[in-house]
Amino acid sequence: MNRDDTIERIREALGKRLLDFERKTSSRIFLEVAPDTVPDVSRLMFEEIEARLQTASGVDTRDAIEILYHWALDRLDCVVTVRTRLDRHNPEIESITPVCVAAEWVEREMWELLGIRFRNHPDLRHLLLDDDWPAGKFPLRRDYEEG
Amino acid sequence: MSFAIQALTRSLNVFHLAGSACNNCDIEILDALTPKYDIERFGMTLVGSIRHADLILLSGVFNKKAAERLKILYDQAPKPILVIAVGGCPATGIIFRGSYNCDAPPSDYLPIDAFVPGCPPKPEAIISGVIKVIGRLRSGEARPAYENLASGGHYR
Amino acid sequence: MSDVWTITQFLVFPGLVFTAAAGLLTSWLDRKVTAWVQMRVGPPLAQPFYDIAKLMIKETCVPANGSIGLFLFAPLLGFAAMALASTILWRALIDPETAFVGDLIVLLYLLAMPALGVILGSFASRNPLASLGGSREVKLMIAYELPLVLAVIVPVIQVGSIRLGDILAAPAAVASPSGVLALLVAATCMQAKLSSVPFDMPEAETELSGGAYIEYSGPPLAMFKLTRAMMLFTMPVFLVVVFLGGTVGSGTWESAAAGVGTWLLLIVLMVVIRNTTPRVRIDQAVRFFWGPVTLVALVAAGLAWIGW
Repeated sequence: MNRDDTIERIREALGKRLLDFERKTSSRIFLEVAPDTVPDVSRLMFEEIEARLQTASGVDTRDAIEILYHWALDRLDCVVTVRTRLDRHNPEIESITPVCVAAEWVEREMWELLGIRFRNHPDLRHLLLDDDWPAGKFPLRRDYEEG
Repeated sequence: MSFAIQALTRSLNVFHLAGSACNNCDIEILDALTPKYDIERFGMTLVGSIRHADLILLSGVFNKKAAERLKILYDQAPKPILVIAVGGCPATGIIFRGSYNCDAPPSDYLPIDAFVPGCPPKPEAIISGVIKVIGRLRSGEARPAYENLASGGHYR
Repeated sequence: MSDVWTITQFLVFPGLVFTAAAGLLTSWLDRKVTAWVQMRVGPPLAQPFYDIAKLMIKETCVPANGSIGLFLFAPLLGFAAMALASTILWRALIDPETAFVGDLIVLLYLLAMPALGVILGSFASRNPLASLGGSREVKLMIAYELPLVLAVIVPVIQVGSIRLGDILAAPAAVASPSGVLALLVAATCMQAKLSSVPFDMPEAETELSGGAYIEYSGPPLAMFKLTRAMMLFTMPVFLVVVFLGGTVGSGTWESAAAGVGTWLLLIVLMVVIRNTTPRVRIDQAVRFFWGPVTLVALVAAGLAWIGW
C-alpha cells in the first residue's frame, strides 16, 4: 500500500470522528481527534496500520493542553501526528499504554511535567523529577510558579 | 613538599563524573583523553571506578537527583581527592540557574579545586586547569580534600 | 646461615624487590611501546614507581558487607606467590644446581595463584560488577591453563625430566617443530594470563568500570598492580627458560643476549597485539582456547612424543 492509500484508509476508519486533517508536506500528516477517540485511533495505528509510536509530546498552549502522538510509518517514509486538546483545568485522558507499551514512560513524563492524568496507566510515578517532588506542581505549565 | 603531594601530583587517576550534562563538556573531556593531547605524559590515566580516582572531573549541572549521587560518590572516593569543575554548569549553572530541578551548584557542598570556564572549554583549557591545580598543590598554596562529606568535613 | 641467605634471596634478589622493580620497569616498557604505537609520547621512566607510591598514600576503602579478611588477603596471595615463583625461576637460571625435581610443576601452580587472588578478591567485594569480572576470570583461567600445561609438556617430553636444571642443560625446544608450535601456544596463553587485550575481559575498563578490581583502593590495589607487573616480567622469563632451555642456560654472554632478546621479542609482541586487537567475549575466548589452541598444543605434544 502506498502513502495515499494508507491515509485514505485512516480517514475512512475515522469517519466523522476526524475533527481536522492537514497534510503539511507529502510525508507529514496531522490529524485532530477528540480525547475520547484517542484509544481507538491508537489501536488503529498500532495494530492495523502497524505504525511505530515514535514519541508523544505534550504542549501547554494558552487555550488548552495538547497531546500529540507521532506515529511513524517507516515503510512508507512518513509520519502521522494525532493531536488532541484537553481542558487546561482538568486534563484527563485514557492511557494508551495497554495498546502500545512504548507509551508507558512518555506518559509518566507528561504526567509529572504537565499534570495530564492518564486513566488506567499501569505505573504512574515520577520519571525525571525527584520522588519527593511536591504534588500538584507541574513545571512545564505556563502558570508554574517557583517555590 | 611532602612525599604524599609529590606522589599524588605525579600520578593522577582521572575520573569523569557527568551529572545530567548536555554532554558537550563530556565530549571535550573525551577529546582531552585522546592520543592527540596525551595526558599520560603527565602521569594521568583515565579510570573507570571511583575507588581508583584521584581527580574527579565534574561536568554538567547537577540537578536534584544527580546531586544526591554526587555526594555519595564523593564519599566513596578514597581520600586525598581533588575535584575540578569543567564548564560553566558545575560552577554556576549558567542557563539552568534557577531552573525547577536544580538546587545548588556543586561548589556549594563540595570543595572544588579549580573551575575551568567555557561552554564547553577546549581540551587545552581543561589540561591547563589540571596543571594549575598541580602547581598550586606543589607550591603549598592548596591542599587536597581529606574528609568525607558525611563525616562533617566540608571545606578544609 | 643458608636459611638467612635463602630468605634474603626470596625478599631481595632474585625475589620480591628485584622482581617488583623489574616488573615496574617492564610495565613502563609496555606503556611506552603502547604510546609509540599510538603516535604519542607516553609516561616518563619512573611513572610506574610514582603510581605505586601514590597508591600507598591513599586510604583503603573496605566494602561494608563483604568479608574484610578475604578482601585484604586476596592481593597478598598473588603477590607472595609471584615473589616465590620468581625466586625459584631465577635461582634455577643462575645456578642450575639449585633446581629440584618437580620445580616446573611448582612454578605452574605458583603462576596460577595471582589469578586466584583476583578471583577471591572480586568475590569478596560484594559488588555485582566485581563478581562479573571474577566469574570471567574463572572461565578464562579454566580456558588457558589447559593449553599452557600441554605446551609446557613438550620440552618436558623432549628432555625427559621435570627439573628446570635439566631443561636448562638440554638443547632448545624451539629447535624442533613441536617446540615452535608449543611456544606459539604458550605465547597465546601468556596473553590471556597477563590479562591483555584481546583477553582482558575480567577487568574490562570501559565495560565493567574496572571489573574485578572495582572496590580496591590504596595499598591493596598497589599490591594487585605490583603482582600484575611482576607477572608481566616473569611470564616471558618462564617461557624463555622452558622453551630456549640450553641456549640460555650455558652462562655465556651469548646465551644471556639470546635470553634477553627473546624476552624483549615476547614483550613487544604482546604489547603490539594488545594495541591492535579488540576485546573478545568470554565465550569466544573459551571456545578459542579449548578449540584451535588446545588442538595445536595436542599436535605439538604428539610430535614431541614421536621425536620431532
